[in-house]
Amino acid sequence: MQLRDYIIRRLIVLPILLLGVSIIVFSLTRIAGSPVGVYLSHEMSAAEVLQIEQRFNLDKPLPVQYFYWLKGVFQGDFGWSGVASAPVADVFPAKFAATMELSITSAIVAVALGLWLGTYAGVRRNKMPDHITRIVAVSAASLPLFWFGILLLIVFWANLGWFPVGRSTNDIWESIAHPTGFYIIDSILAGSLTALLDALWHLVLPSITLGFGGVAIIARMMRSSLIEELQQDYVDAARAKGLPERLVLKRHAKRNALVPTVTVIGLTIAFLMQGAIAAEIIFRWPGLGRWMADAVVRGDQATIMTYVLFTSVLFLLANLVVDIIYAKLDPRVRLGD
Amino acid sequence: MSMEMSDTKSARPVTPVTIASVRGLKVHFQSKAGRVHAVDGVDFDVRDGETLGLVGETGCGKSVTGRAFLRLLPVPPGILAGGSVMFRPQTTCPDCQGDGCERCDDSGRRPAPCPKCRGQGCTTCDQTGIESLDLLTISDARMRDIRGDRIAMIFQDPSKALNPTLTIGEQLGEVFLQHRHADLLAAAGIAEDQPGWQASALRRLASQQDRGTDRLLVKLSGAMRRKHRAIRQALDERIAAALSETQIPNPQRVMQSFPHELSGGMRQRVMIAQALACDPDLIIADEPTTALDVTVQARILDLVRQLQTSRGSSVIYISHDLSVVRHICDRVAVMYAGRVVEIGDVEQLFTNPRHPYTQGLLAAVPTTRTPRGQLAAIPGSVPELIDPGPSCRFADRCAKAHGPCASHDPALQPVSAGHDVACFLEHPITTASRARA
Repeated sequence: MQLRDYIIRRLIVLPILLLGVSIIVFSLTRIAGSPVGVYLSHEMSAAEVLQIEQRFNLDKPLPVQYFYWLKGVFQGDFGWSGVASAPVADVFPAKFAATMELSITSAIVAVALGLWLGTYAGVRRNKMPDHITRIVAVSAASLPLFWFGILLLIVFWANLGWFPVGRSTNDIWESIAHPTGFYIIDSILAGSLTALLDALWHLVLPSITLGFGGVAIIARMMRSSLIEELQQDYVDAARAKGLPERLVLKRHAKRNALVPTVTVIGLTIAFLMQGAIAAEIIFRWPGLGRWMADAVVRGDQATIMTYVLFTSVLFLLANLVVDIIYAKLDPRVRLGD
Repeated sequence: MSMEMSDTKSARPVTPVTIASVRGLKVHFQSKAGRVHAVDGVDFDVRDGETLGLVGETGCGKSVTGRAFLRLLPVPPGILAGGSVMFRPQTTCPDCQGDGCERCDDSGRRPAPCPKCRGQGCTTCDQTGIESLDLLTISDARMRDIRGDRIAMIFQDPSKALNPTLTIGEQLGEVFLQHRHADLLAAAGIAEDQPGWQASALRRLASQQDRGTDRLLVKLSGAMRRKHRAIRQALDERIAAALSETQIPNPQRVMQSFPHELSGGMRQRVMIAQALACDPDLIIADEPTTALDVTVQARILDLVRQLQTSRGSSVIYISHDLSVVRHICDRVAVMYAGRVVEIGDVEQLFTNPRHPYTQGLLAAVPTTRTPRGQLAAIPGSVPELIDPGPSCRFADRCAKAHGPCASHDPALQPVSAGHDVACFLEHPITTASRARA
C-alpha cells in the first residue's frame, strides 16, 4: 500500500477513535459524580442548584449530556474550568504550549542522548564505556521520575541555586510578546537573547527529569539491537567490500538497529505525557499536567475531558509518525496489510 | 547433481605462478574453557587462475582460513596467533593495457611491481621485483583498499549477506564508489586534481567521504547537481553492467529492488556481481551454493566458473560438498581439525587419496548403489581443539593409527608431484626426527 494512502486512511479513522475515547472518558468521569460542583458556592439554595443543573443540562440523561458536551466541542466550547475559574478554551492554549515546549525538549534530550549512548555502548560491547552506560541506563530506568526530579530540585535549586523553577523570570516574560505561546520561539521571534537564555535555563531541570527515563530505555534498546545487527553477515559483507568502519556502522548497522528502536521511541512519547504531570508539579511548570492534576483532585470534569481528548490526538499522531518512520527505515514493512 | 552441470572445468591451463601463499597460519579463539586452536598451522599456495577447493567438515577451520585473507575475523575473541598470508596483487599489463600480449601470457594482467624498487628487485621483494603483501600485518587502510577490489568474498547465504534495508543498486554501488571513484569522476568530466570547492565536494561525494554540507551544496547549486547526476549515471551504468554480467534479467529493475523482492538464486547472482565488480585477483567463495536450491546450484557454479575464467581470477572454493569440489576445482586441500592433511590436484586426490581421513571422506559420499540405511561414516567425532598436544589430530579416529601418531605431529610432505600428505603411513618417522621431537 502506498504511504500516502495509508496516512489518509489513518487520518480518516482518527476522529472515530477520538469519539470512542471521549465516550469512554465521559462515562468514567461522570461515574465520579455530577460536575455541577464547580459552579456552586456554599450560599446557594437547593432551588438555585437545580436551576444551574437545568441551565447546563445536567438534569438530563447521560447520553443527552454527552451529546450536549460534543455539541459544545464542535462549537469550540469545552466547558467551564473550575480550577482555572475561566472557560477551558481560554486557558487551554497557553497551558498546552507550555507542556508541548517541555515535552518536545525532553523528547529531543531523550532521543538524541539515548541513540548516542546506545551506539557508543553497542560498538564498545563489554568494554568499560559499555559497563558505565549500562549502570547509568539501568539506574535511570529504575529511578522514579518524581524522586529524581525532587533530587535535582534539592541539589541544583535549593542548595546550589544554579537553576530556577517555574517557566520564566516574570520581568523577562512580560518584556516580549507571545504570539505562539512557546517561550523559545517567542523569544527568537522577538529577537531577545535574554529571553531565549531565560527560556532555556528554565527548561534544563524539568526536561532532564522528564527525558532521563526515556534516555535509559532508548539507549538500552539501541545498544542491544546494534549489537545484534553488528553480528549479521551483511555487516561483514559491507566490510568485505572495503567500506571504512564509519560507513559500515552508519549506513548498515546503525540504520537497521534504528528499526526496533523507533518503536521504543514511540512508546517513550506516551511516557513523556504521563511524566509531564509529575515534572510540572515538581518544577512549578504552568502546563497541562499540573492543571490536570488539580482538576482530577477537584472534580473539574470539563478540564479532564479536554486534556484526555488532546493527549489522545497527540498520542495517535505520534503513533502515525512512528509508523511512517518505520516504513521509511525498513522497506519490508508493509503498512496497512 | 554433477550430471546436470556442463563441464566447464580446466578451460584455462594452470600457470604455476602463485598469487597467494599461506604459511603456518594460526587463528585461535579465546573461550572460557581455554584457547581453541581453530586454525593451527595451515600451509597452501593459490596459483594464478586456479580454483582451489578447501574441504572439510564443519568446524575444521576452512571458513576461518578463508576469512583470514580479508582479515574478517572477530578480534577478540579471535587471535591471529602466527603465520603469514602473502598476497601478490595484479595490475593491468602495462605493455598491452589489458588486451593480452606475450609478456602477460595473453591474460592482460601482470603482478604489480614492488613499490620500493619499481620492479627492479630489492631486499623488500626478495629480488623478484613483485609486490608481495602480508595480509595479516598490513595497515587497516591498505586492507580496506584490497577488500572488494583485489580480494572479494562470496558469502554462504545471500539473504543474510545483503542488507535488507538498502536497494541492490545502493549496495552494489558502494563497491564502485569505494574503489572506482576516480573512473566515475572522470566519466563526469571532473579531473582528479581539479581545483575549487565544488570539485572537492563532488570528489568527497564520489568517494563516500562526504560531509553533511556536501549534499546540501548539490541540492542548491544547479551546476553541481548536473555534475553529480553525471556521476550517478556513470555509477548506474556500471552497476547495470555488473548485474547483466551475472545474467540477471532486467538489471534496471533489479537495481531498484530490495533483497527480499528477489529469489535466492537472484540474490546470489547479486552477491557474485558485487564480488566480481572490480575484477578481483582472488575470490573467496564460502559455500556459495549451500543455501540455494539444488536446481539453482548448478547454474550458479557454472556462472562463477565462467566469470572467473574470463577474468583469470583465482578462487578459493570453501565447501563440504565433495561432488561439487570435484567438478569445479583444479586442486583440493582437505582440512581436518585446523590443519591441511592432504593437498593435490583434484583428479589425483579423488582417484588416489592417501590420507586415511580423505579416504574416509570419499567413502562416506553415498552413490546410487549405496543400499538404504547403510551410509558410511567415519567413527568417532572431531577432537576438541582446546590446547591440543603434539599428535596427529586424526589419530583417535584412524583405523591405521600406530606408534608415532599419538606422540608426534605429521607435516605435509610430497608423495608425488603436486600431491602432499601429512601422515606417518606415507612418511614413516625417522629416528632422527623422533629425536628432534
